[in-house]
Amino acid sequence: MKKLTAILLSIMMLLACVVTASADDASYLGVMLGTNVMSLDTNLATDGDSFEVIADCIDGLMQMDKDGAAVPALAESYDVSDDGLTYTFHLRDAKWNNGTPVTANDFVFAWRRIAKEAGEYAYMLDEIGNIKGAAEIISGSEADLTTLAVSAPDDKTFVVELNVPVSFFPSLMYFPTFYPINEEFYNSLADGTYGTSPETFLSNGAFVLESYTPGTANLSVKKNPDYWDADRVKLAGINYQVVGSSDNALTAFRNKTLDVVMVSGNQVDAAKKDATLAENLKVTGAGYMWYLSFSQTEKNAEGGMLANANLRLAISNAIDRENLVDNYVMDGSLATYTAVPPQFAASSTTGDDFSANQDAFIDYVGYNPEKAAEYLEAAKAELGKDSFSFTMIYGNNEGDEVQKVAQAIKEDVEDALPGVEINLQSMTKAERLDKMQNDNYDIALTRWGPDYADPMTYLGMWVTNNSNNYGFWSNAEFDQLIADCTTGAYISDYDARWEAMFKAERIVMQEAVIAPLYTKANANLITAGVEGIDFHPVALNRVYKDTTK
Amino acid sequence: MIKYTLKRIGMALLTLLIITFLLFVLVRIMPGNPFPSERMSAEQIQNKRAEMGLDDPILTQFIRYMGNVLHGDFGKGTSLYYGAPISTVLSTAISNSFRIGGIAVLLGSLVGLLLGITAALNRGKFLDGFCTVFSILGVCVPSYVFLIFLQYTFSFKIPFFPYFFDANRFLFSSVIPSVSLSLFTMSTIARFTRNEMVDVFDSDYVRLAESKGMYGRNLVMKHVLRNALIPIVTVLAPLIVDLLTGALVVEKIYGINGIGKLMVDAIAGEGIDYNYVLALGILYSALYIGIMLVVDLLYGVLDPRIRVSAKGKEA
Amino acid sequence: MEKTYTPVKEDFTLLDRQDLYTDKNFASQSYWKGVAIHFFKNRRAVIGLVIVLLIILFAAIGSSLNEFGYRDIVQYRNENNKRVVAKGIAPQIPALHKLFTGEEPEGNFGSYTFLFGTDDLGRDLWTRTWYGARVSLLIAFVTIIIDMIIGMSYGLISGYFGGMTDNIMQRVVEVANSVPRLVIVSVLAIFMPKGIWLVIIALLLTEWIGMSKIARAEMLKTKEQEYVLASRTLGARNGHIIFREILPNTIGPIITQVMFSIPTAIFTEAFLSFVGVGIALPMCSVGTLIEDGFNNITTLPYQILPPIIVLALLMLGFNFIGDGLREALAPKLEDM
Repeated sequence: MKKLTAILLSIMMLLACVVTASADDASYLGVMLGTNVMSLDTNLATDGDSFEVIADCIDGLMQMDKDGAAVPALAESYDVSDDGLTYTFHLRDAKWNNGTPVTANDFVFAWRRIAKEAGEYAYMLDEIGNIKGAAEIISGSEADLTTLAVSAPDDKTFVVELNVPVSFFPSLMYFPTFYPINEEFYNSLADGTYGTSPETFLSNGAFVLESYTPGTANLSVKKNPDYWDADRVKLAGINYQVVGSSDNALTAFRNKTLDVVMVSGNQVDAAKKDATLAENLKVTGAGYMWYLSFSQTEKNAEGGMLANANLRLAISNAIDRENLVDNYVMDGSLATYTAVPPQFAASSTTGDDFSANQDAFIDYVGYNPEKAAEYLEAAKAELGKDSFSFTMIYGNNEGDEVQKVAQAIKEDVEDALPGVEINLQSMTKAERLDKMQNDNYDIALTRWGPDYADPMTYLGMWVTNNSNNYGFWSNAEFDQLIADCTTGAYISDYDARWEAMFKAERIVMQEAVIAPLYTKANANLITAGVEGIDFHPVALNRVYKDTTK
Repeated sequence: MIKYTLKRIGMALLTLLIITFLLFVLVRIMPGNPFPSERMSAEQIQNKRAEMGLDDPILTQFIRYMGNVLHGDFGKGTSLYYGAPISTVLSTAISNSFRIGGIAVLLGSLVGLLLGITAALNRGKFLDGFCTVFSILGVCVPSYVFLIFLQYTFSFKIPFFPYFFDANRFLFSSVIPSVSLSLFTMSTIARFTRNEMVDVFDSDYVRLAESKGMYGRNLVMKHVLRNALIPIVTVLAPLIVDLLTGALVVEKIYGINGIGKLMVDAIAGEGIDYNYVLALGILYSALYIGIMLVVDLLYGVLDPRIRVSAKGKEA
Repeated sequence: MEKTYTPVKEDFTLLDRQDLYTDKNFASQSYWKGVAIHFFKNRRAVIGLVIVLLIILFAAIGSSLNEFGYRDIVQYRNENNKRVVAKGIAPQIPALHKLFTGEEPEGNFGSYTFLFGTDDLGRDLWTRTWYGARVSLLIAFVTIIIDMIIGMSYGLISGYFGGMTDNIMQRVVEVANSVPRLVIVSVLAIFMPKGIWLVIIALLLTEWIGMSKIARAEMLKTKEQEYVLASRTLGARNGHIIFREILPNTIGPIITQVMFSIPTAIFTEAFLSFVGVGIALPMCSVGTLIEDGFNNITTLPYQILPPIIVLALLMLGFNFIGDGLREALAPKLEDM
């Protein structure tokens, strides 16, 4: 035993000698990532964390100011043609970190590549941006990339042509999908190696990549001295660390290992109760909304029972959303009673939040067990059935609170609606999506995050035959309203379009196509003295260009 | 012996091929989509499937895949670390997991053996009881709880070790994960060693040796331990595979880019990543088969009387 | 003239005196009776048995000893019609409460007492711990018993016959063990409804291998020993040698393996939830309770303790029983 202790001790001492003084530069900001960075290639990245790191290193034509509005970045200015179909961006002098200047051709190359590879976010080019020629290339029916209507008349001018006017087009330009890639550099790399290490990645933004390998749990970026707006950037760099649990994030913050962490559930509660931590707590909107999707087709839910609007309304009115956010989610998420969540889409004429009035549809959605019971009675009479048993699917890897929320919903619904049984079934997110896309579920606890700051990012989902219309609901009036807003009558009349979208939302709520639950917030802990991190619910969740430490 | 070994290696390779094919088929049945997307059209997804050759007959796909694998090309991720070739991601993960797991194996088996021997020599006394309680705790408390405990104590309360894994300070930052991973192995080995040794102590030949005047270390090393080692090696073998192939939660909490997390991300991440599941599956199988081969050969070394073959022709 | 006498079969008849061959002293107690006597003489074994029986008893009835159901969320509405949920309450055993909160237990939630506290949904942990123990014990016992039967027979047969039989059987084991468990389980979940039985089948598919490996190793070690040779010379059949002669002599390591399979089964069940296979919420098991507790280990540290303590006591009990059984099943000379 003595020998054992001696051996262990000597191992410890040996290790203590190995401690090298590689202590991180104190002026680096330590930031938690929720998941691994999946890719630094704008064509392949699909998650918020990857987008954040890409945006640290690369600037697009536009950038977000601290309120989320689009302001010029690499584009010094831009012109719109009178018909709203042609955008001309005038580029400023900026350099990649290998010294070559950023030119309009870098955008042409990057955008063509996005269209050609037709990845997850290629739809920003055709469905959202409505860029001429994009749809044909993405669907594979057109092989000639030059048919994409983007061009570079000279090094400093970049021109885009659209099919229809898109009122929010400039604000799309801060989304990483639209960032440039240097063609010459890209072509000099071996296939599949772009963006897999600091050597195979070019920056033109506030930071350059310092250390990164695919799959790594920690990476760092350092200040780019050649950034066109270098004076603005105060941080020496950022150390990113993937943290696996909220509990661990809290300890890492207390330990001062990290300056910026996200906590959820009980850890928010613990932080609130701790006087010093409470001061560091900052709640920011995460943008995405959790909601219940009901399958309305014959083959699900005991022969299409959920096609009955009264039954859906009954379930929606049985759920106490305030209880969900106060007692289980706890991170400042907002109980939501509208199909389009609040806080991300403001009217550009009045500045009003589209969903500021959460009581707008209070007749159809809200916690009201008596009303829920009435709806249920109506549904029972219409369906000639007294008891219902539905399976509710949810992802087991979508955040700590999801399974708590699922259980609380089950209790609420079964309490308020005698005869209705909800069975919970957990699965991976991949399987949940698969089941929803193949219409093989009754009720799903799911979420959707806005890709751009317009209510259409939600409303567009419920158009007949849209691939995200998981309930297979169909309503001609709704379809017409949406068509008018995207390609038809209201396209150039901003306020009329806004009104029409509101009408469309009312139809969704009246029929309880979905049951909105809550709009997610992030509870951040930020070290005292760290200022100027811009949080946004859309596109880029965190921006560090003005951050000081 | 050489002929037998060669034959066993040949068999092992054949088994590996069968397993690879089995995995190849199974992974395609698994629920989930290799191109998970809420934003791509069905047409786009179909194009991607076709590009990857998923519409070809399964045998064609398999032969093509094996051809690539033999050239060291495991393909690219479809839903995990999309762009990068799997071999580069995997090699980092392997080096991390193997080194941390390796330290855990060494620590676990050596300390476990020592504890077990100590307990057996002190049967019924305090040390024996201590060993029992220790090994029970070691298997009842999951390694990730030990990890949190160690991390909390030695990185937070007493900030000595790094709070997260840091590949640049490998040895130093692998102490906490290695120790916490080794405890299960340590407990299991300690318990098995103790019980095996007690059995051997009671056997006739040890009694004979004792009666011939053999005592102490000589007896333990020469007779007892050697005979007790066979079941111990058997228990240890799968534990080694488990340790080397990583432990999900430990890797997740301590921020280690390792195999365990990679496997779960490949299966239960955004989608089913066929190429990653296959590459990791092949790795896992190869390890397992390799270690089992070593164990079978070791049996013969540990106890020459043991013949795995029936009539001793092949031994 | 001398005649050579050739014996015929009839010359040899059995005397009707079987008592001659019977050792009355030995046979008067049956083998199992002897085992039982030995076992109950061992004090540690008895303590172990009591612990295990108590846990089984609590698992059976513990969750119905108070007014809470395992899935009941304890809550009420305050004057503002807001829900107050009894979540995150530390154990209301006075000593424990003081340890975790540094203060005396304040008034109970309404008139309720939560002995083990409540979880972060507001459910009574006493109820859930014993309910979870019931689920886990069921899973662990069913799988381990079946695994033991399959694994032991497989390993003993494979090791005994050796050669080609062993070779083929071991390759089958390798194939079965090499496919990562998560893959097998995900595929299995397509053909079977998710739930407790899927978990049991999933565990069955892989857990028997460890047992078979031990049994085979024991067989390899034992089969060349003298008593086996003696038995074979006397014309015993293979089945007899394997299951009557060798099996009892290999029982020690097998019992150890069985005991160590219990926590493995319990944790593996919880691990399966990573691929969405596992018992359906709001049901719980010891494994999932430990995982839930782990998610809040620094903020609500008491959550993880009840399931771990129950598991540790269970293991302690089984270890004592195991040791007792080993000694009772294969008694050594001095014990006689």
